[in-house]
Amino acid sequence: MDWLNLLIIPLARSVALILVLLTAFAYLTWFERKLLGRFHVRYGPNRAGPKGLLQPVADAVKAIFKEEFIPDHVDKPIYVLGPALALIPALVIWAVIPIAKNVPAIADVNIGFLWILAVAGVESYGLILAGWSSNNNYSLLGALRSSAQMISYELPMGMFLVSILMLAGSFSLVELLNSGRAWWEWLWLWAMFPLFFICILAETNRSPFDLPETENELVAGYQTEYGGIKFSLFMMAEYINMITTSAIMATLFFGGWRLPFGLLQNVQILGPFVLAFKVILLLFLFVWVRASVGRPRYDQLMGFTWKILLPISIGYMMITSILVVLFK
Amino acid sequence: MLNVSPRRREYETLPGINDLGVPALAPMPAGESEDTRRIIERFGADILAAGLQSGQQVIYTTPERLREVMTFLKKEPQLAYEALIDVTSLDRRDLPMDNGEARFQTIYQLRSYARKQHLTVVCPLESDENPQVPSLASIFKSAIWPEREVLDLMGVNFTDHPDPRRILMPDHWPYHPLRKEVPLGGEEVPFSLTFDDPMFETLGKQVLPANSVSPALPPGMNRQNMILNMGPHHPSTHGVLRLAVELDGETVLNVDPDLGYLHSGFEKTAENKRYKDFVYYTDRMDYLSGMNNNFGYVLTVEKILGLEIPERAQAIRVIMGELQRIASHLFWLSSHVLDISGTGMSLLMYATRERERIMDLFEMVCGARLTVSYIRIGGVWADLPPAFISHLQDFLDVMPGYIDDYEEMLTKGPLWEERLQGIGYISREEAIDMGLTGPMLRGSGVDWDLRRDMPYSGYENYDFDVPVTSEGDCYGRYVIRMEEMRQSLRIIRQAADNLPDGLYKTDNRKVSLPPRAELDVSMEALIHHFKLMTEGFRVPPGMFYHGIEASKGELGFFIYSDGSSKPYRLHIHGPSFNNLYAISMMSRGHMLSDIVTNIGSIDIVLGEVDR
Repeated sequence: MDWLNLLIIPLARSVALILVLLTAFAYLTWFERKLLGRFHVRYGPNRAGPKGLLQPVADAVKAIFKEEFIPDHVDKPIYVLGPALALIPALVIWAVIPIAKNVPAIADVNIGFLWILAVAGVESYGLILAGWSSNNNYSLLGALRSSAQMISYELPMGMFLVSILMLAGSFSLVELLNSGRAWWEWLWLWAMFPLFFICILAETNRSPFDLPETENELVAGYQTEYGGIKFSLFMMAEYINMITTSAIMATLFFGGWRLPFGLLQNVQILGPFVLAFKVILLLFLFVWVRASVGRPRYDQLMGFTWKILLPISIGYMMITSILVVLFK
Repeated sequence: MLNVSPRRREYETLPGINDLGVPALAPMPAGESEDTRRIIERFGADILAAGLQSGQQVIYTTPERLREVMTFLKKEPQLAYEALIDVTSLDRRDLPMDNGEARFQTIYQLRSYARKQHLTVVCPLESDENPQVPSLASIFKSAIWPEREVLDLMGVNFTDHPDPRRILMPDHWPYHPLRKEVPLGGEEVPFSLTFDDPMFETLGKQVLPANSVSPALPPGMNRQNMILNMGPHHPSTHGVLRLAVELDGETVLNVDPDLGYLHSGFEKTAENKRYKDFVYYTDRMDYLSGMNNNFGYVLTVEKILGLEIPERAQAIRVIMGELQRIASHLFWLSSHVLDISGTGMSLLMYATRERERIMDLFEMVCGARLTVSYIRIGGVWADLPPAFISHLQDFLDVMPGYIDDYEEMLTKGPLWEERLQGIGYISREEAIDMGLTGPMLRGSGVDWDLRRDMPYSGYENYDFDVPVTSEGDCYGRYVIRMEEMRQSLRIIRQAADNLPDGLYKTDNRKVSLPPRAELDVSMEALIHHFKLMTEGFRVPPGMFYHGIEASKGELGFFIYSDGSSKPYRLHIHGPSFNNLYAISMMSRGHMLSDIVTNIGSIDIVLGEVDR
């Protein structure tokens, strides 16, 4: 057997990817706090290191050295499983995202789209189990909200993905980027991007759709009973999810590793940097929304998916299929 | 094991300088007004006394006829005392009474919004051991909480009260703290709450006095609703307020507020503080509007003293009061937005930035920012510094633009209106019945503002509008408060432009200290200084209630003076306390998130609710 290709290289790639993502997570918190500080007319972290750059390190040290405390009234195995289950899908999705020409992060599976949908579906389990096992009213309400919200928003998101899939004609993300798009395809996709972004916000429980943890109502929602590193795992899951979904959006809507107009297509080494740049721009969008848009009420949130987003997404899919039949 | 149980200690007072001989009773009301005449005509001998006292209408009646009198006062179209503002009580144990005179009295403040009249009803209770009085809950909903407070602190029983629980002190507390025999500290504190206590079984799961709105279930089915314990440590209860919430899914069936976590006994403390020394305590009640608290207290004392305040001092007070109103509303806005949207952090920071400018102005005039104690009996603490007016003008120039910015951020953004409209609706009748005041009242369509309708401190000289809306929901109250900020700016501008010259505090040396320079040349000044610093000034016997329009509603002070230099009884009517009563009614049938919206919309400060 070819151990090298089957096991060693993917393993090495995974480790490298995870290390990159964890570092990115740490500095995403810095990035967000700095940006929010600017939005709020204040400075943001600026004590630890130059420009507060060591703040994430300090936070990590603090979280790790906190007492590992498990309350008495929780369901222990599930309680511990919760944060892990929340984090893993966020990392695993990355396997199929292409980071340079013909180079996926881990593997070029021919079901890239399905992989994204499937793994995103698993994500909500972490939150639900955490809230359920905490045995706390606030956690329970948070978990219920998160399950309802994630399942509801997965529907329109799935519909939009199917539309993109039809345009691409392939399940593989690597293939998607290799085959070019016509100009009307780009415009048609970009018209849908704001709606897709809303779905992503709801999927990642980001503000303004952070209803599962609404601190103003539910104290901290599903993570009320968590502290120390376990709490940090939830934060990690949320932030890595932001990075992951930004990468997906960059790939689907903005050409992933490619520069516009096919510039420098064959310089492999540029790919990851172009992708990273696009991801940072999208992350800025996340933070911007957080600083400026208010949170809807729970029933308004649900009404919005089922009454507005879902019909639009179905309509969009139908029109896309007609366009594909006519022009491709 | 070490015995740490506290013992009962005798409370000692310092003998000497403050002994004033026999205290005196407040004089009985004399003269008559149209209203008192009409009441006497109807009830005859059951009105024990009626007339004017320090210019206020007061009637005395018996507990037997109390309900009839109150119903008459409310229903009779020529009287139309439609709102019960406050209920309080008086323990006259230490007063020189004739034999057989009642020890306890309950005291009611009634208001007619239509006729702009105020009436005080005093009801001497019969038994000294077991004082009893009929509850007014069936006539005024606004009686329910204040009566619970009287029951709790004074031990007066209200017959037919719908909810006769204690409200501020713990349920098992053995004393009624405002009774005169309870010492000021030194009493044994009953730490009976151990893990063997049966209370622990139900803590946080109390069966609520539910008037649930849960839908009818098919026969044979039953459902257990979730009881959610919000607070006392919760991000959005604005302090140590505890709400026991009954939930069906996310729909609120009932809310039961649990108060008293910040009960500091200001009223009892006041009985042992000289009049001039209690000003500092008032800052700490509604800590977001210290100036207004000073203002309300000081005006009440001055009314009993019959003191003339120089016009400059009056204008400075108006400027400070209105600045404080803006600061308080800014803080309300920022926390309200944060509660509702979570992400409105940006607006919180912007509003705090502007509030900071007001705090800086306060710091300029008195050195303090939050607990200012700037407004003193007789005037203000010090004259305005020379640079103040120009700084104030700068603030006045930029503030209107900022208010427009806030409004644009909120009303033009998505979701703000959806979150507020139709939430926490209170009709006009309910608002009056529940005794709500301030923006809560005006948000429900009652055109009433104490500054305009019962002017004090020269408010009649300023030109301003009172915003009123009949929307009755959180959005209406939001609009009202935003407009109030603009009107406050208008008042400040007028006051600052026409700031009269003259004294910043009264030159009545019996009340206000002589300037330092005078002490070197005048023996009299030295004597006054000595007397004021050691003994304080004495206030003639009397009884007075005075309310001002504070930022959250009507802030009233009731003072009973026995002729000494300390109040015999001081009662504080905090607007937050009465307004908070509405939370249960406002939240029923809405979603969990709306409780938070409603708390923000009521604008409570727990320091004032619990006092």
